[in-house]
Amino acid sequence: MLDAGRHPNIEVLTHSELVRFEGRAGNFKATVRRNPRYVDEDLCTGCGQCVHDCPAIVPNEFEVGMGARKAIYSPFPQAVPNTYIIDQEACLNNQFLVCTNCMNSCDRNAINYDDVPREVELNVGAAVVATGFDVYNASAIAAYGYGLYDNVLTNIELERVLNASGPTQGHIVRPSDHKVPKKLAFIQCVGSRGEGKEAGCEYCSRFCCMNAVKDGLLVKQHEPDIEELLLFYIDLRAAGKGFEEFYQRSFEMEELKYVRGRPSKILEDPETKDLLVYFEDVETGEVKTEKVEMVVLSTGAVAAASNPELADVLGIELDENGFFEVEPRYGSPLHTARQGVYICGCAAGVNDISDSVAQASGAAAEAEKFIEKMVVEKEPEEKKEMDCSGPPKVGVFLCHCGINIAGVLNIDELKEYAETIPNVEFVENNLFLCSDEGQRLMQERIAEHGLNRVVAAACTPRTHEPVFRDSCEEIGLNPYLFEMVNVRDQCSWVHTRVPEIATQKAKDMIKLGVAKARHLQPLYKKSIPVNQSALIIGGGVAGMAAALELEAQGMKVYLIEKDGRLGGRLNNLTRVYPANLSAFELARVMVEKVKASRVEAMAGTEVNNITGFVGNFDVSTTNGNFKVGTIVLATGADIYEPADEFGYRQFENVITNQELEDILHDTKGKIQIHGETPKNVVFIQCVGSRDPEKNPGCSRYCCPTTIKQAIRLRESGVNVAVLHRDMRTVGAKAEEHYRRARQLGVKFIRFTPERLPGVTGDGDRASSVEILELALNRVLDIEVDYVVLAAGMVPNEKSTSKLQDILKVPRGADGFFMERHAKLGPVETTTEGVFLAGCVAGPRDIADSLAQGSAAAAKASSIITHEMVALEPTTCIVEQSLCRACSKCVEMCDYHAPTLADIAPGLKAAQINQALCKGCGTCASWCPTGAIVALHFTDEQINSMLDALLLDKV
Amino acid sequence: MARQPGRADGVLVLGGGITGIQAALDLAAADAKVYLVEKSPSLGGRMAQLDKTFPTMDCAI
Repeated sequence: MLDAGRHPNIEVLTHSELVRFEGRAGNFKATVRRNPRYVDEDLCTGCGQCVHDCPAIVPNEFEVGMGARKAIYSPFPQAVPNTYIIDQEACLNNQFLVCTNCMNSCDRNAINYDDVPREVELNVGAAVVATGFDVYNASAIAAYGYGLYDNVLTNIELERVLNASGPTQGHIVRPSDHKVPKKLAFIQCVGSRGEGKEAGCEYCSRFCCMNAVKDGLLVKQHEPDIEELLLFYIDLRAAGKGFEEFYQRSFEMEELKYVRGRPSKILEDPETKDLLVYFEDVETGEVKTEKVEMVVLSTGAVAAASNPELADVLGIELDENGFFEVEPRYGSPLHTARQGVYICGCAAGVNDISDSVAQASGAAAEAEKFIEKMVVEKEPEEKKEMDCSGPPKVGVFLCHCGINIAGVLNIDELKEYAETIPNVEFVENNLFLCSDEGQRLMQERIAEHGLNRVVAAACTPRTHEPVFRDSCEEIGLNPYLFEMVNVRDQCSWVHTRVPEIATQKAKDMIKLGVAKARHLQPLYKKSIPVNQSALIIGGGVAGMAAALELEAQGMKVYLIEKDGRLGGRLNNLTRVYPANLSAFELARVMVEKVKASRVEAMAGTEVNNITGFVGNFDVSTTNGNFKVGTIVLATGADIYEPADEFGYRQFENVITNQELEDILHDTKGKIQIHGETPKNVVFIQCVGSRDPEKNPGCSRYCCPTTIKQAIRLRESGVNVAVLHRDMRTVGAKAEEHYRRARQLGVKFIRFTPERLPGVTGDGDRASSVEILELALNRVLDIEVDYVVLAAGMVPNEKSTSKLQDILKVPRGADGFFMERHAKLGPVETTTEGVFLAGCVAGPRDIADSLAQGSAAAAKASSIITHEMVALEPTTCIVEQSLCRACSKCVEMCDYHAPTLADIAPGLKAAQINQALCKGCGTCASWCPTGAIVALHFTDEQINSMLDALLLDKV
Repeated sequence: MARQPGRADGVLVLGGGITGIQAALDLAAADAKVYLVEKSPSLGGRMAQLDKTFPTMDCAI
């Protein structure tokens, strides 16, 4: 958020709407109306005096009405921009009561009651629609009494309640009596998966299952006194990377009790305000009630109310649910019917955060094809840097992080202590140091007090160090003179119950931070030239999508595929849902596009080796060598091959989903298996998925695939039963297809992992499947002609481990490549310049793979668009006069950065390739002569921290 | 790297939530001029309201 607010290429227009959109791709004229804020953005400093003086109090929508705000306000503490705004409907002036309090209190004359809407005209080549969703209005389901009963909350309200800066400061209390509830229930699918209009929408909102599991664990963490947490659900849909494992963890922690069944109604005890939940336990068939003290409704997502108007302006269509319609022709979720207008996230239907982020990058890549990129002016002069050679003058900034830190640690005590540490010139605390306002104040203090070293005692450097470093750099302080101490994760979060000891630990950590900061030296990024070309490994949909995007942006692209032809898994499929596209056609069109383009496609080619680093990779393949600046891994995954599960190898009529797909492919419409039309087919789900031994994760694609195949068989008159644990309808329109399958008469029968279905038969043919029907508590014997196993997706061990060795991209516990960040970096890796697309990072469907291909292209393009790339300067260097060429460093380094070089005739010494070095410091700690220095973690810096800790010598 | 001449250099991104911000940052990183248009008074969207995100439990802001 802060990054977007700061980026020189991004102009942020908040409180604004698109009113006209004319022209064509490459040259649109967009008219944006800037609604009046009544506060001048350039003059307002966000000091907050006006808020203090404003007499009008209204409910705060950011806190979903659970908190209050004034008529002049900033939506939340870290808002970007931090300019205040007057809510005209709440302002007394609008109610004919003359009040000029805010105007009088503003030192900078930023208040302007006569502000009017302004229109600005923008010339753009493309548009990206990322307008998101609205939350379902839970009061529409009268039986749950939301809005009527005090202690019925929604999931969004709970998020605010859980938040340390929220209305209850992170305490879970009942709205009716502010007491911690002893027993709490979550109810899933509120407004989702409904039948008929009055019950909300028919689709699955996708995010709410995992949201409830997460909130359940957080609730228990916040209030250990809560005795029982119930979660009512239909199917628990943990179908994303790492989700199933997270769900299983909630079982191990025994925090949540899962009850399968959708409550029919809730009644309130008017005296105690306790709630009585009526439901049918579908596993036993009994109608039961549970008395709980608080209920959380997992409300789903609905199309934004503003969609029709915006669709009209943009000239695009809406689908039957009111979301923006995706043009189905391309198989990708990013296209609208209007060229140059792309769509991502929940604007086109429900997606979780990581899929939304991948789609956003994908839409960016699509948009880039229609613009002429700016010629970036080289910054003419180097910014004057502050002199820091004098004695260290350290500034310590303590962040409250709302009450995340201040709720546990004694900030006053920390402040008092920090002031006594030698060389500390200035100490200040701030509610949110990372907010715009917090950063501006930090910059002012640095300048005012001539600080030349800065320590922030705050949250994690993983997300926030770059923000603070940028702020230092902006005012001319070298960013490597900044040191971060993580008193949130390492003190207030882990030692919540022992605040005194946590505060003591925070003091020690701040002392160490100051000790190190005194010895920090300025470091400078070096730039190296970039080879402006890309390598895509894997010629499936994701790889081809990435290659085509980059080529369309004018980049040189190499695409290699180990098979003899392009197309990947698409070659083995018949139809692709939801639009029922022919897989063959989709593959053919893409392969032809690749062939007609300037992409250098090489089928039957494998990687031998890759050396080098971002901007400069040397690639050696079985089909020649070349140089590229960036690499996209799109090698896909394998389908799990069943061993002897469910008689797979014993009976010839037990086949996998993929084998059925091959048969459907060959028989072209007529459903015949080995020349016979089958009468009875049983599908068994989760074969080689959700199994801690074989593959802990959910393979995500198999439920929708089974539904697709079941419908196809059922429409030809076959009796179909699907045996499953939870039907997980991930993907566009999958829930609707699931409903359709049920309407057509496909039977869905649930089993548990404790009692798996059994396949029996004679000789080499299976004849029946036995399953315990849970609600009836009776064993059913189903006659079968064919049993179809929904085999999961597993990493391709050979190619994945080879690429892991070559490129040092880490893999997760599930064996798939690991993303840089599960939510925010779904196509990036920790190896700079190397990106992921498609199933190589975990199971996903065709549409998601296409979106990821585009996303990886956007990331790759951000590197190879530029002629130079800056390298992180926190690397290791060699003082060659001390080196005795023992080659220990060469041996120890995982990244092949050190080598031995001749520095004089007959004299060797180590040297470290700065572009390859990750600055891990392994070589420096092994070096027997101390010739290697890990910059930013020098012996001097670390020793001074040890002295401070062990000898109390600061 | 000069491409299709005669075209606009800007991209309009509608929506200032996590998705819109991500699209804007990617475009900006590839030297596009971005206009990020948000209806409400601040960026952040829905994600700013969330407390923590699973499975890493990072702060959602």
